[in-house]
Amino acid sequence: MAEIAGDEAPTPPPPISGEVSTDPYTSIPASTGSNNPPLRTTKPGVKRLILTASVLLSFLVGLPFLLKSTEIHRSPLPSDAITGLAHRLHSAPPSFPCGLHAVFLRSVPDRSDASLTRRLEQSISAQLQLLPATSTAGNVSVSVTVESAGGCSSSSSSNVDSGWQCGTVTSADLVIGDEVFDELLHSALGSGRGDGSRVYTVVVVEVDDAEGMRVVVGKHRHAWVVGKADEVKAVSVIGKVFAKYFMNGGIEEGEAGIGKGEFMPVGSDGNVVLSFSLLNADPSDWVYDWDFEKIGERMLNPVVEALRPIAEINIESQVLYHTPKSSYSYSDDKLGGNVLSMGDIPFFVNSNEWHLDTSTSATGRSKVLQFVVYIPSARECPLYLQLPDGRLSKTNAFISPMWGGVLIWNPPDCSLDSKKTHGTRKKMSSQELMETIEIFIGQLRQLFGLKPSYLSQDMDMPTKFVVSEKGFTEWELDLLYRHHACSNLLSCLTTLESLSSLVRSLPRMIVMDEIGRQVELSLEAANLAQGNATLGISDSSAVHATRARALAEDAFFHPSIMSISYASIEHYFAIYMPFFAPVSLHVLLAAIKELKRYKAERAKYSAFLASQATSS
Amino acid sequence: MAAHSRGHPAMRERGFSPAGTSPYWWIRPCAGSILFLSLLFLFLFTAAAASAAAPEEEKFTEELLLRPLPDRKALAYFHFRSSAPPAASVGRHHHLFPKAISQLVKKYHISELELSFTQGRWNYEQWGGFDPMSTNNAKPPGVELWGFKLNEGNLRYGALPREAVCTENLTPWLKLLPYRDKAGIASLLYRPSIYKGYYHSQKLKLRSSQSLGIILDQTLTVVLQPNTVSGEQLHSNHGQLQPNWSMRHLFNRKLSGKCLVSKSSRVFIEVDKGIVDNVNKSGSDLSWSNEFFVLSNSPDKLIKGQNHVEIQSSFLYVYDASNYTEEKPLDVGITWKLPLVWTCTPSPFHASRFLMGSGNERGSIALSFMSTNLHKQISGSPTDCSIKAVIFQVVPWYVKVYYHSLEIFIDGSRKTVSEVVDKIHVIPSEDKLLPGTLEMLLRFPCSMQSGTLTLDFDRGFLHIDEYPPDANQGFDIPSALVSFPEFSSARSYPEIDPVLGSPLLENFQEDSVVKSYTEVLLVPLTTPDFSMPYNVITFTCTVLALYFGSLLNALRRRIGEEERELKKTVVILKKWQLLASILYRKFVDELF
Repeated sequence: MAEIAGDEAPTPPPPISGEVSTDPYTSIPASTGSNNPPLRTTKPGVKRLILTASVLLSFLVGLPFLLKSTEIHRSPLPSDAITGLAHRLHSAPPSFPCGLHAVFLRSVPDRSDASLTRRLEQSISAQLQLLPATSTAGNVSVSVTVESAGGCSSSSSSNVDSGWQCGTVTSADLVIGDEVFDELLHSALGSGRGDGSRVYTVVVVEVDDAEGMRVVVGKHRHAWVVGKADEVKAVSVIGKVFAKYFMNGGIEEGEAGIGKGEFMPVGSDGNVVLSFSLLNADPSDWVYDWDFEKIGERMLNPVVEALRPIAEINIESQVLYHTPKSSYSYSDDKLGGNVLSMGDIPFFVNSNEWHLDTSTSATGRSKVLQFVVYIPSARECPLYLQLPDGRLSKTNAFISPMWGGVLIWNPPDCSLDSKKTHGTRKKMSSQELMETIEIFIGQLRQLFGLKPSYLSQDMDMPTKFVVSEKGFTEWELDLLYRHHACSNLLSCLTTLESLSSLVRSLPRMIVMDEIGRQVELSLEAANLAQGNATLGISDSSAVHATRARALAEDAFFHPSIMSISYASIEHYFAIYMPFFAPVSLHVLLAAIKELKRYKAERAKYSAFLASQATSS
Repeated sequence: MAAHSRGHPAMRERGFSPAGTSPYWWIRPCAGSILFLSLLFLFLFTAAAASAAAPEEEKFTEELLLRPLPDRKALAYFHFRSSAPPAASVGRHHHLFPKAISQLVKKYHISELELSFTQGRWNYEQWGGFDPMSTNNAKPPGVELWGFKLNEGNLRYGALPREAVCTENLTPWLKLLPYRDKAGIASLLYRPSIYKGYYHSQKLKLRSSQSLGIILDQTLTVVLQPNTVSGEQLHSNHGQLQPNWSMRHLFNRKLSGKCLVSKSSRVFIEVDKGIVDNVNKSGSDLSWSNEFFVLSNSPDKLIKGQNHVEIQSSFLYVYDASNYTEEKPLDVGITWKLPLVWTCTPSPFHASRFLMGSGNERGSIALSFMSTNLHKQISGSPTDCSIKAVIFQVVPWYVKVYYHSLEIFIDGSRKTVSEVVDKIHVIPSEDKLLPGTLEMLLRFPCSMQSGTLTLDFDRGFLHIDEYPPDANQGFDIPSALVSFPEFSSARSYPEIDPVLGSPLLENFQEDSVVKSYTEVLLVPLTTPDFSMPYNVITFTCTVLALYFGSLLNALRRRIGEEERELKKTVVILKKWQLLASILYRKFVDELF
């Protein structure tokens, strides 16, 4: 302190300047006592301190305004709702409650009472507990009706109502054939399913003269068992049919199919284009044309209608020429033609020459499934697909998951292989075209994760399946709806979570209002889908889940997200640094200096005051 | 066949409406009807003409026309037509017609569309300016698009004058043909040959209507130098035999049969009016083997062509490709026996366009018309007649044209606008939105030898984000289109059967106005230093920071205190000076 003071005021005080008169200070003349620290006789001024402080303050006050004015627009995403949905979906995956109604048609007049039906109901429930549960089906409520000549009694414990009308169907009706009996059962069950949840019916028809048991699965939501069976056997068959087919689509544990991994050939906006192409490998040998617009549309429209809840399907067709395959086939005299082994199939599709163009109706994120009829050239005709076990493929077709299917069609005049039928344009006969489209419908079932066809010996008794003209039976569609609703909900959730974490991780990203709105709509649709799932309304749930996923994807791939690069933090700093860095340095230093000085001066003044006090 | 969008965004011009939906401005308000729509009528007419024969099923035809040109070159014109009948399945189910095109038509409700990719300029003096070939297939360099939408009168026009055309454009074009280039006439498209030419223009023309279905014409026009062995003195044709050529010389390929799905497959060899006149003068007949030239194969048919002013204009030798196979390919060619000099009929005026002025601020566009004295040849009409010409020009908004500065000079003397211009229609440009459009109907006296129109313009500034990557190269102004509505290039073929069903000849018969394109203009604009924004920010901020800092320092300065400080330092300095002088003296004393 002494040195500083010595430095500061070694000379006598100067005459007071008019301009700086606010801050005059004088020290006691050095002659009075050279060892004393210089003392202030006046109070130190605060003008400059207030000035610098107010500049600093205005900077500090202005800072939030600057940040606010340069802030980028970020629509608030409902991240709480997203985590809520995630929590709900993970803790309780959507499960569709459904009902099983077992009907026993007894030929012998029997005393049917409530105790029998209750006993049967309990044993069926116990049977279902033993069988492997499915991922999408929720709790199953069971009801039993026993109908005999003596009367009709139903268990009244559960509220499952399949609409079964007693007395409309008898075992005598079996003679009319399975297809007609199927429709008869459908009409007997017809009414009374207003609540939306699915009730599956298994009818056990007791026939005395039958040698064994036979199971027929109808194209609606019912199956029937014909034969003489004791109660235990019948209950086990009912449980098996319900769990294996109605719940799992006949897919065994460990088999690829529905519900096992990624299987959805549906675009994320819920659109699918089925593009059918007729490929003439070498038109100099023969040129084939087809009448797809008539026959194809007629056969595929029921399929399109049936799949509408999970996908909006458009059908297109074209004929292409000069489209050789790109894999090698060899001639096999024993099999009477050219053979393509399984190992060459991955190279069959020739993407250089097959211009299976995409379509304008497949815009954005929709999916195109290609179905290709390949007509081999004369050199490689007839062309067969060989299975790994050496046999020839029955359908001569194969699928490629998520891409589509290929069918090799050997023209009828190909075995003649003598004179060239040069320059003629022929047409595929409508019979052959129908067969081809049937194979394609089978491939479509496979692409959607169902079995192309069921083996009749799958159960330990003869099983028959009534096929639907829609390509998909009603119980199969239920299964598809359930799985699509689940996987779409999960995919929607994943997308929303990624979007929300992306937005959180990039604080300088512009988030348009539209994205926020899409996310909200998507969440709304997801909630609706979940609500419908708990009610068991699978088709409406599938529709809402598809919509939720489409909206989530729209939000995630919104083009405005690309503008991130124009509002980066580096850019921001590059613009504001050259001004604010030097200016804030000036202001801060000035404020600190003034404060320091003020403190020092005040100390001097208080020392002076103290010295005055002691001297006086 | 997606149009390439590599060009500058501002050059992808928005469509404009000629008939008054967007702001427009008449220089002469008294002008009544809209004559500039002649182009539109042309399209409508062709649509009406073709609607006469509505096809029942999807059809495909392929044709090729070869023609010797006066400057020792040869012209090859490929014409493919695919047509789809009107049906509910259009856009979904197709057999021959490309699905992509029908879906495009369906989705955007296109009624007319013409898209051309061109490399090189059509030589109107040497290759003709008055025949269907030059009227329909001479296109401006780069990409040009004309389009009309259904139920909407607006013409949509766009041009990318700098677009380079290459095989990458040809491949998607070929994909629209059922056989691509695997068989038929398209198999002649050997890439090194057709891209070696002097002019290359591939075009896609679509017409669709309820009654017509969709008709897709794909044409490729190439001008080639025949690849002959005796290539001496290529540039002079006086007293010199024309080069002999055949398909093999032109394309390095022979034609081995037709495309199986095509309804007709023909090759035409056309000889010009100039040759026909020469042959007729010599007194011999125009068989495929006469005293001037001989064709390598005997044609299946011979067709006389007429244009609407002359009795006879050209001859066509027709070959049916379905008569030829892989074992017996068609290699038709022409062998000359006598030297022959002829010229093609030019358009009434030769139009060209150039820039005037210097500097980066302003300039002017000049359009010049040189008479080819065609009217004298045609009719010998009286001197007080006049010739109509329509100019259509689109100018990007950053070239700000002052339309009131229009000046017209005829044979060197200045004329008032009302003397020459019958009608004018201007759509002024809007910044970053709409290019400026100028349409004018002019009436030139027949006796005019040269006429010039000038328009002044200012060069605009673009936003820093809007400059293309190579801004210093300059900006292109698309070609102007000059048409002569009184002259029709239509040919008629009185001898042929209407059921011959040749879409190529049908196109030649259509009444089309003689038109020609001018050159593309290159306008250099002032290009900024692209690091400028950051420089400006940094510099301004530094100045501001300096000012602010010094202001703050001045405010908190204490002058009295500083003066004391100063005195203190002065005293110290004086002491130091004293010390230094003593030391110096000592030093000096010690030295001496």
